Amino acid sequence: MRIKSDLKGGFMKVIEVIDLKRVYNSKIGIFNKKSVATQALKGISFSVEKGEVFGLLGPNGAGKTTTIKILTTMLLPTSGKVTILGNDVSKATNKIRPRINFIFGGERSLYWRLSAYENLRYFSDLYKIDIKTQRKVIPELLELVGLSEKAHHKVETFSKGMKQRLQIARGLINKPEILFLDEPTIGLDPASAIELRKIIKNLVSKGTTILITTHYMQEAEELCDRVSIISDGQILAIGETSNLIKENGKKTLEDLYLKVVGDGYEG
Amino acid sequence: MDMKANLRVFISSIFLQMKQSFGRSMFRFCMIVYPILYGFTLYMIYMDSSNETIINYVMFGTAVASLWGTISFSSAGDIDRERFMGSLEVIFNSPTSFFLIMFGKVVGNTILGTLSMLISIFFVSIAFSIPIIIVDLSKFILVFIIGLSSFIGIAMMLSGLLAVSRSTRIFMNILDYPMMILSGVAFPISLLPSSLIPISYSLAPTHFLLLIRMCISGIDNLHLFYIHLGYLIGLTTIYGILSCFLYRIIDIKAREKATLGVI
Repeated sequence: MRIKSDLKGGFMKVIEVIDLKRVYNSKIGIFNKKSVATQALKGISFSVEKGEVFGLLGPNGAGKTTTIKILTTMLLPTSGKVTILGNDVSKATNKIRPRINFIFGGERSLYWRLSAYENLRYFSDLYKIDIKTQRKVIPELLELVGLSEKAHHKVETFSKGMKQRLQIARGLINKPEILFLDEPTIGLDPASAIELRKIIKNLVSKGTTILITTHYMQEAEELCDRVSIISDGQILAIGETSNLIKENGKKTLEDLYLKVVGDGYEG
Repeated sequence: MDMKANLRVFISSIFLQMKQSFGRSMFRFCMIVYPILYGFTLYMIYMDSSNETIINYVMFGTAVASLWGTISFSSAGDIDRERFMGSLEVIFNSPTSFFLIMFGKVVGNTILGTLSMLISIFFVSIAFSIPIIIVDLSKFILVFIIGLSSFIGIAMMLSGLLAVSRSTRIFMNILDYPMMILSGVAFPISLLPSSLIPISYSLAPTHFLLLIRMCISGIDNLHLFYIHLGYLIGLTTIYGILSCFLYRIIDIKAREKATLGVI
């Protein structure tokens, strides 16, 4: 579902990335240290429209997480221009941060010695959500991710899937206009992954824009209006999911992905 | 509204930190067991000395060492823990000031550090039957409050440095004992080589300890007391200004150097 903007004939671009480059400088060696520059992004450009689900696909080390970290204001671009909801990520973090949120795959980004409820209450405070709203929203989110009964249990006693579901609740705490999901279903059992996809579809139906990275091509095909396949910091293919598959004479996104990323993978 | 919301962040960061820290067995060891062991060791060294010396060097030496350990050392180390837990990126990217969040966390550790200090004082007092005598209590309280602020300033500076540079952790570990030696926790700084004494005087804990010892024994030289108090306030102010400055540049440096997460 894409929502038309007031702009004549166009859709409202909520994410705009122009010629984005990112270089990491690190040092290797113990005694004879050497500086090494790694170019994680080599000038990528794309845009995402309001209400769209945009998939960023690619092998490990392709630059997906770096892209998400730049879009969520966690990292600065080395060069290029990135705007989120019309604001420059390098300068206008105060305008961007309250309106977005992100969920990284895995068990991290939570306080394990606190309960699920305490975690959500703390993150609500950080997003300056008033107490009255917190009392309403936190139980709703716990219900949404199926953790109501474990609300007051410490996170360290949770399974990997439960921690991941709590992360999802955390990512929704401020009702973000754009939600960034970096491999959100990694480690989830099939039922939980289906449940998460339902949550994503529900959010999109309410106008939330989603940018997702995943290694599960079926998931991307089911969810994404458009996808971009990146490898080695460069975009190799971009377009509407179904069109991209058809145009390349493939049956599934997985076939397309394998073709684009490297012939060596193609079966 | 924003003021109220910021206050809530500050308070909830204090409580979160206290829960998180106390949940760690290593922290509980540093807070409860370490002062007892340290107090016992120092008492064995000073057992033939006067009560005043024991109060000055065993009771309050242990207390300040515990305070240093829990406030400055643990607070700064928390940045590293948050980095590995993945929560550093989340709190940094929230719409709340990172300085405010970290300030709340440091204050949380300060409360626990003060408890650790009390444990040290009462352990030495009860175990070795040393009466707690503070001749100038009102000035002691004043010095104690300014001293706590100074330790908070140091913790904020260290945590700020850790946010922009992972290697700060190594320097922090290297500095732990020299800091205690140079500030005269367990013996008078006059025993140090003369070349080290200027370094001692550039550290707020040195003046904090000198002032505390003056308050315990009674202030003979009020002029000297105010000189050290001036140094303590001055250094605390410098730490505060440096912390604010550091946290201002963190927003750019941490995002530029990608030091918030584990890559």
